[in-house]
Amino acid sequence: MTNNVVVRYIPLLLLAILWEIAPRIHFVDPSELPPLSAVLKAWWSLLLDGEGHTFLAVFFKGSLWSNGVSSFINWFFGLGGAIVIGVFLGVFMARYQTFDDVVSPLVKALYPMPKSALIPVMILWLGLGAGSKIASIGLSCLLPVILSTYNGSRGVEQTLIWSARSLGATDRELLWEVILPSALPEILAGIRNAVAISFIVLVASELLVGQHGLGYLISFLGEGGVYDAMFAVVVTVSALGFAADRAYLYFMRRTLIWRE
Amino acid sequence: MTSSGISFNGVSHTYRPPRGRPVLALDGVSLEVKDREFVALLGPSGCGKSTLLYLLGGFMPVETGTISVAGKTVTGPGPDRGVVFQNFALFPWKTVQQNIVYGLEKQRMPKPEREKRAQELIELVHLEGFGDSYPSQLSGGMKQRVAIARTLAIDPLTLLMDEPFGALDAQTRTLMHEELLAIMRRTPKTVVFVTHDVREAVYLADRVAVMTARPGRIKEIVDTKPSTGSRAEFIHTQEYTEKVDYLWNLVRDEAIKAQGEH
Amino acid sequence: MERVNANWRRTLLRSSSVILLAVAWEWGARMHFVSDFLLPSLSSVLTRLFEDIVSGDILVGLGLTMLRTLAGFTIAAAAGIVIGITIARIRVIRWFFDPVVSVGNPLPKIAFLPIFILWFGVFDWSKIAMVAFSSVFPVVVATWAATESVDKYLLWSAESLGVSKRQLLWQIVLPAAMPQVFTGLQIALPISLIVVIICEMTMGGQGLGGSMMTSMRFADSPGVFSGIVAIAIVGSLVVKAMELIRKRLLVWHEENAH
Repeated sequence: MTNNVVVRYIPLLLLAILWEIAPRIHFVDPSELPPLSAVLKAWWSLLLDGEGHTFLAVFFKGSLWSNGVSSFINWFFGLGGAIVIGVFLGVFMARYQTFDDVVSPLVKALYPMPKSALIPVMILWLGLGAGSKIASIGLSCLLPVILSTYNGSRGVEQTLIWSARSLGATDRELLWEVILPSALPEILAGIRNAVAISFIVLVASELLVGQHGLGYLISFLGEGGVYDAMFAVVVTVSALGFAADRAYLYFMRRTLIWRE
Repeated sequence: MTSSGISFNGVSHTYRPPRGRPVLALDGVSLEVKDREFVALLGPSGCGKSTLLYLLGGFMPVETGTISVAGKTVTGPGPDRGVVFQNFALFPWKTVQQNIVYGLEKQRMPKPEREKRAQELIELVHLEGFGDSYPSQLSGGMKQRVAIARTLAIDPLTLLMDEPFGALDAQTRTLMHEELLAIMRRTPKTVVFVTHDVREAVYLADRVAVMTARPGRIKEIVDTKPSTGSRAEFIHTQEYTEKVDYLWNLVRDEAIKAQGEH
Repeated sequence: MERVNANWRRTLLRSSSVILLAVAWEWGARMHFVSDFLLPSLSSVLTRLFEDIVSGDILVGLGLTMLRTLAGFTIAAAAGIVIGITIARIRVIRWFFDPVVSVGNPLPKIAFLPIFILWFGVFDWSKIAMVAFSSVFPVVVATWAATESVDKYLLWSAESLGVSKRQLLWQIVLPAAMPQVFTGLQIALPISLIVVIICEMTMGGQGLGGSMMTSMRFADSPGVFSGIVAIAIVGSLVVKAMELIRKRLLVWHEENAH
């Protein structure tokens, strides 16, 4: 079992070794691709470049942690807000025909818009701070959540609703005990999409403007020519994006254990 | 015990698709089902027999005519009429046990009683040991037994079955027939059973109502109660074969008419 | 007659939100509930859009953006389909790419943007490379899954009819995998557009994203808004176009049967 996992990831190990060796033997320019060891060293110093006398102070004031926290806050509130509002609106649209008639043309017209175009408008409205980033992430993630909730809630099998009704379920019970659980697989898939989009918009908005966040740190280090540190932050962001997706996938499988 | 007869009185129904012309699906259907009687509605696909059952279930509004159960006019779904669908309609996110107790929860039955009742029903439909399984882990026949148990749990006066064994393979279907008859012997109920399988109708029902192709009307009602002996023996008798032949000829004309429409 | 009326009412209701939003936008801006800078009136935005179209400014920007998008997307599509098929059919390739794809697919590729600038400069190549890198993964994943899930009875019947190995790929596997592959492309193209606009916003070099950012820097809010309207329209047209192509390409598929 463990053996299999090791064998499976050997190609990644090979790529890592290639990354270390290629710049060292000047197969590629080390200033364009710093060797892996240099990147890891830079990562360690970014982790512990805070000012303070105790280890914890050094860590919590370090560039990686402090920028990571501001990114996390933008991400959390943007995505969280989109999920709460999106599920609510999606269910509401699916349940009330008139509301659906009024709102769904707008949702469907805006859905294909390349979400990144919202960033400049949000900066215009809310300035260079966290507000515009949270709003950009929130609006970008809102539509996929609304649409998946809407489709999921409308796609509930009629006989399931009829069964619950004839077993004595009220309107409210129908919503919580039949429609939402039934729509859950689709809602969760929509949220997974939203998670991917949230990372794109988060990093993009931080790369563009602002003074905080991991995206800002990447562009700051890149402009300063500190490439080993820039690579270190890029790797960190990638790892976080990967971890978020995997953790979410795990949560999704656990929640939908009844499917199989 | 209250009488739980069902009466359909001049029921018509027009199906209005979102696009296209309205279609008359049922035309003046009148039928009396006596207390504890098993009546099968037999007809070609598209004859409106399922629609008639959904109207009885209260899932669609009765626009013309009236339907009453135990003397009360049907206005909406209710626990006095248990329903079993062809596609089982089990809650896939609930285990077998949780599916069976759902209706009992709605009746606010206390938990210990609920669990006792669920155990009885699991035994009744021979699913011991599967209480904690999810529907996705069961075979088609087992799923339908869960659905029957879930419906019987709330002890409805009448049982409405919409081609309940249509999605099962031939062997499983035969076993389910025997099991259904056994359950009905233990807890007799008024049953309306929709099917397009002539043998199934003759084997299970006391009376078979044959419906015409669209628009659906009652063409003829045939008594299929075995004159002597049990149902299990009935299937080997001359009488059974004759009833099947007779009904098959009635349905055949309508099936051909229904095909010609497409 | 009644039904005709009902249909009309429904259409009116359905367009009401768009009309209402447009009216509210125009009226709100004219009443100066918010400053002109934060919300220029709809009419001034549309006028601006019209002027930019007539002067050709927006067409140049649109052309550049579409060129970068389509170049990157085409590379991603071609590479993705080839990689996807070879993964499904050649064992060594699968051994190598399986972990690479499963790690690479969920990465926020946009974080690599500064690295691409470092490697390819700030001009078109880095944008195209970034677009291709971001959108290749969904194509690979879709093609891989599609090729592996081709119905085995279909393959068996083809083989028993005497189809050679080579023909099998081109005449059976690819057409059978097409619906799913195309779904992958339909996921990849919007990603390409999102990424190209981010690239233009960060690196400049004109294009719809670049001019939006320039307008923002010069506090030219009608420019920002006409930019987003133009981008929204382009986005919907691109998605619609993909749907039309899908319909033409997959005439035989059940999804197009009525």
